[in-house]
Formats: sequence, structure tokens, C-alpha cells
Amino acid sequence: MDKIQKHPASYRDPSGFVFLYEGKYYRQVNQCFKHDYILLKESGLYDRLVKEKKLIPHIELDEDLNQSPEWHCTLLPEQIRFPSWPYEWCFGQLKDAALLTLNILKEAIQHGMILKDATPFNIQFKNGRPVFIDTLSFEKYDVAQPWIAYRQFTESFIVPLLLCVYRSPEMLKLLQVYPDGIPLSLASKWLPLRSRFNFNVFLHIFLQNRIAQKSNRTSATQPAFSRTKLLNIVNNLSSFVSGMQLKKVKTTWNHYYDETVLDEKYVNDKLSIVTAWLKEIPVKTLLDTGTNTGLFAKAAATHAETVIAIDSDTDCIDSLYKHCKQTGNTNILPLLIDICQPTPSTGWRNEERISFLSRCGVGMVLALAIIHHLVIGKNVPLQQVAETLSSLTEYLIIEFVPKEDEKVKRMILHRKDIFPYYTVKAFEDTFSFFFEVLHKVRVGDTERLLFLMKKKN
Amino acid sequence: MNITAYIDPGSGSYLVQMIIAGILGIAFYFKTIWATFKSFFGGKKETPSKDEEKNG
Repeated sequence: MDKIQKHPASYRDPSGFVFLYEGKYYRQVNQCFKHDYILLKESGLYDRLVKEKKLIPHIELDEDLNQSPEWHCTLLPEQIRFPSWPYEWCFGQLKDAALLTLNILKEAIQHGMILKDATPFNIQFKNGRPVFIDTLSFEKYDVAQPWIAYRQFTESFIVPLLLCVYRSPEMLKLLQVYPDGIPLSLASKWLPLRSRFNFNVFLHIFLQNRIAQKSNRTSATQPAFSRTKLLNIVNNLSSFVSGMQLKKVKTTWNHYYDETVLDEKYVNDKLSIVTAWLKEIPVKTLLDTGTNTGLFAKAAATHAETVIAIDSDTDCIDSLYKHCKQTGNTNILPLLIDICQPTPSTGWRNEERISFLSRCGVGMVLALAIIHHLVIGKNVPLQQVAETLSSLTEYLIIEFVPKEDEKVKRMILHRKDIFPYYTVKAFEDTFSFFFEVLHKVRVGDTERLLFLMKKKN
Repeated sequence: MNITAYIDPGSGSYLVQMIIAGILGIAFYFKTIWATFKSFFGGKKETPSKDEEKNG
């Protein structure tokens, strides 16, 4: 019998926990949560949310795999192919996750239930859309009580979204430092003065912070809350979040293909070579590093089941996410990740949310026109690039950009050329140690070379 | 506040929500009066949104 491993992040809520068994994630429902879990099913809320693809569906098992005295039942939820963390999402993804949470909250209230927590970690992306994964977040609604998770929702969703709107979308990465939400006291310092003149920002951030700081006593007699009052707040939060928009900005990368020195023939040639190789080697999961606005990720999406498209540019990832949403492309997962600074393992004992590279065993990696950024831009030795890529994938499509290339010339224009080994020969020799070269093709009229490689055993 | 909660609702959370709900209630009240006023004087007829209808 396989060993059961309790998920290292599943210790906060006593209602149950997630565990790994025979390569699948299960969820145990504890006795103390029994009545809420039964209500979730009997009220029709579970069926409704699953039908609307807002909540992850599960199969209920009558088997106590943990041999636990607290056991009520075991759930086998639909598995998430590639888990991502909120600090890897773009603005659009966090905004959609916030709207989903509020939408689920409204439906829960209509069914006599409420969300007892509201963290973006309760949401994952599945088939291009956010889905709520914490089946144990629902509890019986007491109309005399306000929303217990209001502060958590404000700090985990509203504050990071507002910091994007008023400051910069890069501020989403703050969720890595503050996974429980960015404190209101910090948000009120970081948000600009003009934000106070927005009615909703004033209400949910500045007023809340002021009251929270002044109110240290809890009155014994509190006037009863009401369903109408709660719905007023939830509806207001929904329209507040819906109205949040990022300012249009021009970044280094979001017009790369429009303004690049590289001509159309180069892009078309590269696309047809990559597409042919993708057809030749069908893979389930593909990682596109430095995806930009996803030109090649979109091509890969017709051949691979899941395409993880990463880039360090917030605007590129936001555009790709919007594109996938508009076109109904369900198998691309755009994530805001810098391959030079991949997400580390975080949380209690550094075990709660595992690092990007640990999650990243894929069938194929696309590393198109990034080698010069790694080797020359970041001084990463070629050998380390090859070794790291070989630890991630079975197949590799990689583009070598030589020193004679305009882009590389620009990179070493104002610095000492300390890269005598950056040659096609050194590249091939180094990569041949880890990979077998299956194809090598020159792209268009350029000096750039595309390689299809297979990892050596 | 619900003392069976496993997360910390934050200090003053009850009071905050009472005040915010109160302010939003007043804002909704005036919005409705304004909509009625406008439609009475022949302006474009405005109806509260679906969400507002539900909680109104």
C-alpha cells in the first residue's frame, strides 16, 4: 500500500485536509464539518456550482484511507494538471479569481450558505478559467452575522488589484511576500493620495483601515447584521472589481513582434519549422519559456494538451490571458514567471507552495530566442542552461542566437565581451552532453539556428 | 462575530461592515430617488440593475 502524504499546506482549517495517495490528491472531510458538507450537497449549491464550472467536481468515497477517528468521508476531486500560485498570475487572472469568489459567495448566500474564507489560494486555473477548489470553504449562513472573510478578501484580492491599478502590475508579486493578504495598514501607505477620492477605495481600504486601527474592543452587544446588508456589500465589491482596469502601457516586450528588427519571413519561417516539429513529437504538456504575447504558445496549443506559457513581462501575460479568454483557448496557462528567477518554494517550512521548477516536469520545452538573454544578459554559463533544461523536459526546441545577430551585438555594445565561448560550436558541444540533436535548421535569412533535441538517458 | 471561525476576521471587522453596509444602503436609496426623479421629468428611463433589484 502506498504511503499517504498529507499536503503540507492543508493544516489551517480543521474541517478536513488534502492528501496525496497513489499519485492523486484526495480531500478528507472531518466529522466536525459533516453538517456543513451535507448542507452543501442538499441545498443544491454543490450541483449548481459544478454545473456552472465554478467549483471543482469530486467523487465521494466511503473509504477511510487515513484511518482517522475524525473521518466523515473522502473526496476525490478532479485533478489540476498544473497548479499555479496567485503571485504567478497576471492582473486579469487575479481579477477573474476575485469575481469568481464573489459570484460563488452570492450563490452560496442564495442557498443558505456562506464562504468562511476568501483567499486566492482557493482558486486554480483549469481549462483556461478559474475554478474554486476548496470544497470545505462553505458553511451554514447565519443572517445575523457579517462576512467573516471580508477583511481577508480585501487584503488578498482588492489590495493587490488596486496596487496594480494605481501603481504598477508588477506589484502582484507582493503576494509572494504576503500570501495571507497585503495588510491594509501598508496598502493605505502605498496607495496614492488621489485613490482616496474614489468612493470604493475610500470605503473598503482607508475607512476599513481607520476603523480597524481604532477598534480594539469588541462590544458585548452588537446589532444584528442582515442578508440585505451583506448583499449590498457583496454587490458593491463585485461592481468595484469589475470596473478595475489597467492603464495601457508600452513595455520592452509587448510590441516585440511588431517592432522587432526581425522581418516577417523570419517569424513565418520559425513558426512553420516549430509547427512541423510539434507535429512530429506529440507531447501532453509543453512549457514555452519567454512566451512574449504567445505566438508560439498558440501554435503549440493545437498539438499539446497543456501549454504553460511563461514570461516576466506583466503586460505580455495579461494580453495572452485576455486573448485566450476571448478566443476560448482553454489549454494555454499564461503565467508571470521569470525563468531566471523562477518562483521559489514558499510558506511554512518552505513546503506549502512548491517552486516552479519542482512543478515543471514537461514533455517539451520551447526556448526560442532566450539563450542570449540567459548567457549574455544574465551571465548564466551555457552548461548550466543545458543542465537545467534537461532536468525539466524530454524534448527541447531551442533557438541559438549568435554573436553576429543584431540583438546580441546591441547587448554587448557597452560592455566587455566576456563570452568568447558563446559560439554555435560551444553551444552544440555543451548541449550534446545532455541532449541528442534530432534536427538543426537555419531560420529565414538570419544566422539564427533552431534545434530539436531529445534528452539523453 | 462568529467565534467558530478558523480565520481571524480582523479587529473591528463587524463595525466596518455595519458602517459600509449603512453607507451603501444610503447611497442606493438616493440612487433610486434620483432614477425616479429623472424618469418623472422625462429623462431616459433608468431601472436598477439586476444585482440592485435583488438586494433592494
